[in-house]
Amino acid sequence: MFNRTDDKITSSQAAVFLTNTLLGAGILSLPRNVTQAMETPDAWLTILLGGAAMLGIVLLMVKLCLHFPGQTVFQYAGKIIGKIPGKLVGMLLILYFIVVAGFEIRTLAEVTTFFLLEGTPSEAIVLPFIWAGVYLVLGGINSIARVFQIVLPISILVLLVSFGVSLRLFDINHLRPVLGSGFLPILRGMKTAILIYAGCEVILTLTAFLQEPKQAVKAMLGGIAIPIFLYLLTVVFVIGCLSVDSVVTSTWPTIDLVRSFEITGFFIERLEFPFMVIWLMQMFCNFSSFFFQASLGISQIFNVRLKPVIFLLAPAIFIATMLPRSLQDVFTLGDSIGYIGLGMFFLLPLLLTLIWMIRKKGTKGHA
Amino acid sequence: MSSLKSFIPSWHIWVLAVVAFLVPFLLSKIFARVHAYVKSGGTFKSASARTSVLSPDSSSAAATPFDGDYAADVRSVMDVIGKNSDLTVREFPLSRFDAKGTLFYVNGMQRERELNMRTLEFFMFEATREMLASPPNVKGLLPFYNLKESADVREFSRLVLFGYAGLIIEGVPCGLLIQSPNTSNRAIVEPLSEALLRGPRIGFTEVLSENTSMLRRQGFSDQLEMKSYIIGNTLPKEVVIAYFKDIVNADLLKEVEARISNINIDFLADSGYIEQLIEDNYLSPFQQLQNTERPDRVINGLLEGRVAILQDGSPFALIAPATFSMLLQSPEDYYERWIPSSFLRILRFFAAFLSLLAPSIYISFISFHPGLIPTELVLSIIETRQGVPFPSLIEVLVLELSIEILREAGIRLPKPIGPAMGIVGGIIVGDAAVQAGIVSPILVIVVAVTAISSFSMPSYSAGITLRLLRFFGMVFAAILGMFGTILFFLLLCSHLSRLKSFGVSYLTPVSPYRLQDWKDLFIRAPISLMKKRPAMMKTRQERRQT
Repeated sequence: MFNRTDDKITSSQAAVFLTNTLLGAGILSLPRNVTQAMETPDAWLTILLGGAAMLGIVLLMVKLCLHFPGQTVFQYAGKIIGKIPGKLVGMLLILYFIVVAGFEIRTLAEVTTFFLLEGTPSEAIVLPFIWAGVYLVLGGINSIARVFQIVLPISILVLLVSFGVSLRLFDINHLRPVLGSGFLPILRGMKTAILIYAGCEVILTLTAFLQEPKQAVKAMLGGIAIPIFLYLLTVVFVIGCLSVDSVVTSTWPTIDLVRSFEITGFFIERLEFPFMVIWLMQMFCNFSSFFFQASLGISQIFNVRLKPVIFLLAPAIFIATMLPRSLQDVFTLGDSIGYIGLGMFFLLPLLLTLIWMIRKKGTKGHA
Repeated sequence: MSSLKSFIPSWHIWVLAVVAFLVPFLLSKIFARVHAYVKSGGTFKSASARTSVLSPDSSSAAATPFDGDYAADVRSVMDVIGKNSDLTVREFPLSRFDAKGTLFYVNGMQRERELNMRTLEFFMFEATREMLASPPNVKGLLPFYNLKESADVREFSRLVLFGYAGLIIEGVPCGLLIQSPNTSNRAIVEPLSEALLRGPRIGFTEVLSENTSMLRRQGFSDQLEMKSYIIGNTLPKEVVIAYFKDIVNADLLKEVEARISNINIDFLADSGYIEQLIEDNYLSPFQQLQNTERPDRVINGLLEGRVAILQDGSPFALIAPATFSMLLQSPEDYYERWIPSSFLRILRFFAAFLSLLAPSIYISFISFHPGLIPTELVLSIIETRQGVPFPSLIEVLVLELSIEILREAGIRLPKPIGPAMGIVGGIIVGDAAVQAGIVSPILVIVVAVTAISSFSMPSYSAGITLRLLRFFGMVFAAILGMFGTILFFLLLCSHLSRLKSFGVSYLTPVSPYRLQDWKDLFIRAPISLMKKRPAMMKTRQERRQT
């Protein structure tokens, strides 16, 4: 076949898709969120632990999906728990995706008005962003994955360069003592650390689009390993360079880190600018991914065509974006997304798997 | 409850939500409409298309066959084309048997000496009745290697006017076309639009047979196949599709053939017409077929599994499908050693980036984020911008537009005047504009760098695309600063990722990652490493035979 009519993605695309879905707002606020909850410099341990837990969850999700080749969670949830509850779960997921998408854009708007476009109404930032997203999502999962594949290498490069340059501020003493206040703070930090992995649910739909489902486990584990590594790096460097005290007091500690040094003799003295650029692009990917998942869900649950759904979702996401009244609301929303996300990507696949296994056993027994 | 109420957004959010829906919805509706309109207006009326594979005896419905009566046949040919002043009609007797014949040819399209010496001599003194006895024998016994019979008066007349020498002989019930046209042609010169320092200097000309022969002369092969099509309703022309039988993907070939034979147009003036009629997306600023004047480039494309389209009368061959990376590749990359070539290629990517985004970045820095550039630089820029009365967008637009006009004028002007205009326009006006305080000197540097970067595009068509898109980028930057520029870049990426050329995604192999194809993307790997054909073309043979 020369002209592909099916919209499938390769396993490398799937891995990048997952990475880009996870790598978003978290990069800027994660160090503060985690550290605020823990009040010790052990945030990196939390990230590691959370990451390890995520690997298990990802494995669970992929295994679940592989029982239903070529089907997304919106399609097979009904088969597991019955038609109506399945639809309800699907709608819950969709709602969650919309809220997360709105949250991401809102964060973007807040950061942009703060650093780049002071005095610009956030609607003027949000609307074109959503429109660009509509254009991309209309192209289908393949186009989305392609754009992700362009953006991700640039992002990783800039991130690594920024951290590499900030090495001179790095002081290992800021990360000490390890486990100074015992193990308890780490558990306290876990729930905030989980927020950054919100979006993991895309695996439940992504696996259906794989060209070679056999490689699903490898692709998804690869896809989650990259953000775990990058988040770990972020936390280590931000806390290591800025110390716990200043991280807790700053709104966007990662940007503060990048702003805190100058590279003289270069066209751009501070890396804040390239950092903002890649972060914006990353947010775009992030948002498009959730946007696509939500519209895919609606079209599959209600059996309607994808295209009109995408157009109709644009205002829904816009309203979701505008719901928080202040930055404080945004952060509160972020925290609650973390909690909901925990349920969504931990409980949901677990329950679905359990029920599926019981049912399968049951039918086997009858037969 | 009251706290919940405070979350309900105010009315203007709801209005904007409606806007959020309407803008993309209407835009997509409009684009879909325009695309469908262009499509239906142009091609794909295959039912009425009057195209057919070229064959010497293809007869159309309105055929008027030769009647067999000599006088009547000559009269009917004269009825069709007799009024042309450049037509020479010579009646002669065939002395070996008592018959008459008439020779038709158009002045200037035949070697007249040969016609007189050989042809007329033969017919008047040597031809016997047996030679011309019956149609199946005619071909075998006459001493002409390029002999065609035409049973149709109209076709006979058309071919005579196209340059063939035509004969009607008493007792032969069809027209004979004995010599193919021999018109004066342009000499073969170096390709003007794709000059190389190192590499073959041969370029296509306007004559199809010369172009196909150049392709054949690239090497010995029995796999290079060429198929001919006659396209054009009023003034038909020959179009050739060339490909390697054992390499090309059969589905791709079928697609190209289908699109070519669906073309429905009066007249093809240049292969640019074909390009525009068979491309996938009429509304994209990006070219979806590669045009080239270089036979070596065409052959390399064919060996990668692509299909070439050549048209009589155009020195530009089209290569399909085209991908984004092709726009930034020059054949010279392969002729020089790989390290300098890779360097030049990376340089070209950088230049493309500059020529697309440099003015936008300037605008967003100057108007929105002066804090992001080093303080001393900001100070000197602001100092030089002090007297400039315009916002940066207008300032950039003034200079960019005048550069574009200069360039356009430079192309149209005769060669001796061009450079002079460049000096007057570029140097004098540029300097005067700075002196007069209309633009700042930094901007002159930015615009000059942009212009020079866009000159480095190996393909002229790709250069135009980037020049055009640059202006959109500037508008985005003027409205939303850096955010707008990024948005523009993302939109461009989205567009490119959605664009397809003959089923091949335009962005391959940049994405999806095909590391195997990356050997020939940003860098040009040593030739000994490029053993495989590009995976994106899904060729019949994976390996280049060694």
